[in-house]
Amino acid sequence: MSILIDILLAIIMVYLAIQCLLTPRLIQSVFLFFAFGLGLALAWVRLGAIDVAITEAAIAAGFLGVLFLDALKSFAPKVSVKQDNLEDIYKLPRRNIKSLILPRVILVLGLALFLFIALEAVWMIPDGGGLTASAEALLPQSGVEHPVTAVLLNFRAYDTWLEIGVILLGLLGVFVAGGIKLYKKPGASKPDPMLRQVILFVTPVLFLFGAFLLYIGKTGPGGAFQAAVLWGAIGILLHLGGKPIFAMIPRWLFHLILTMGLGFFLVLGFLLIADGRTLFEYPPAYAGLLILIIETLGAISIAAALTAIYANLNQMEEETNEVEPTT
Amino acid sequence: MMIKEIITVILIVVGCFFFLAGTLGVLRFPDLFSRLHALTKADNLGLGFIAAGMAVYIASPWAALKILSIWVFTLLASSTSCYLIARFQKEQEQPENRKEQE
Amino acid sequence: MNVFFIIVSVFLLLNIALGLFRVWRGPTIADRLLTTQLFGTTGMAILIVLAGYLQELTLLNVAITFNVLAILLVIGLVKVWKIKKGDTP
Repeated sequence: MSILIDILLAIIMVYLAIQCLLTPRLIQSVFLFFAFGLGLALAWVRLGAIDVAITEAAIAAGFLGVLFLDALKSFAPKVSVKQDNLEDIYKLPRRNIKSLILPRVILVLGLALFLFIALEAVWMIPDGGGLTASAEALLPQSGVEHPVTAVLLNFRAYDTWLEIGVILLGLLGVFVAGGIKLYKKPGASKPDPMLRQVILFVTPVLFLFGAFLLYIGKTGPGGAFQAAVLWGAIGILLHLGGKPIFAMIPRWLFHLILTMGLGFFLVLGFLLIADGRTLFEYPPAYAGLLILIIETLGAISIAAALTAIYANLNQMEEETNEVEPTT
Repeated sequence: MMIKEIITVILIVVGCFFFLAGTLGVLRFPDLFSRLHALTKADNLGLGFIAAGMAVYIASPWAALKILSIWVFTLLASSTSCYLIARFQKEQEQPENRKEQE
Repeated sequence: MNVFFIIVSVFLLLNIALGLFRVWRGPTIADRLLTTQLFGTTGMAILIVLAGYLQELTLLNVAITFNVLAILLVIGLVKVWKIKKGDTP
């Protein structure tokens, strides 16, 4: 009976995925993608992967949402564009049919190959359950009770360390694209009591719930990445409210916060090797404490990186584009 | 036991009615400001009744507290976000900007 | 009782599917944003119902995540897409 939910969800998801790609206007694609994110979170819930569902909810509803809205602004028609040309800007260029034959053939072939690989992968799922049994057996030594956290921060800590590095690399990419300096806006925007109250109210709630998710990661779904997105949302809110925190604190502190998670991981790994163990092989007695410290520092670093990515992209737009766009 | 389930069913059915009303309102109402009105009905009453029904059904104080906090936060967030959206639209629709509407 | 929860979830999902028309249609960006907010609320309701149906209380955490981040989109739109007064020709 519960398969009804799954079937309906699958139909909605596939329809949304196709619509996201095929709608003629970018703005429709973006907002359909938000709906797609919601459906994806529900689908992860139905698959029993609640950790992933929380991450998807946080990233799709929060971070990607504001990033996309910010990016969409630069695609909006400028004021100088005449009303008649709006349609031409929004519609994809119409090509003649002949030039589309080759892409379509490639598309069909690619889809067939993808279907083949997917079927093969589903067919070949091993019966033994992979590494589940050995991971469960080692769980008492890992220092946490939730298997997902144990895998992410103990058994496969190497991957998580590199993932924090990947987010920093993303920020470096933004720096390279031209947004190195964060600045306070000249001539602060006119005081906005409503927005101020909203931010004052939402910020502590975000902080508390992020800390809750971080701590609950020991025993249940939750963890550093989910908490990081929530804390990053605090930074984004403060930036939008006219108080860019990273423009207010000194530069070295900003860099310290950014590299804290990656650096602590690295120093820890180095000390462990010096102690005669392998990289990230925590002594079982301290594993729980070490994981908590790593998670906290990592979450703060990721949150700072997400905030800086958004703030830099947002300000880069304002610097280069003086003409204010409309809807 | 039975009474608890009956209360749950009634509350959730009422909540579903408000969600349907909200969705139909968002689909059918003529302009943005009336649609905002429909949205708040789904946010406040629809979610409120469903949350109340599930809090009665789950019957665990910790879960009930979480559900209550979800609802209270939605009340605050939806009312403020509706205000922000409405003001945003009003600023866009000022006479000198009206031409550029899509 | 389980059948009832499944019916409610399917009903709410159908609501989302119906509302997709407004996201597709527009006509202004505020309309689309408003419908996304409605989807978020409906998704929260589905998650709460599923939490009772699956007896999995951690689903409430997913709902709270949606809940606290819903307003971020609105502020992100309102502050970023602002028109400066008197700036339009």
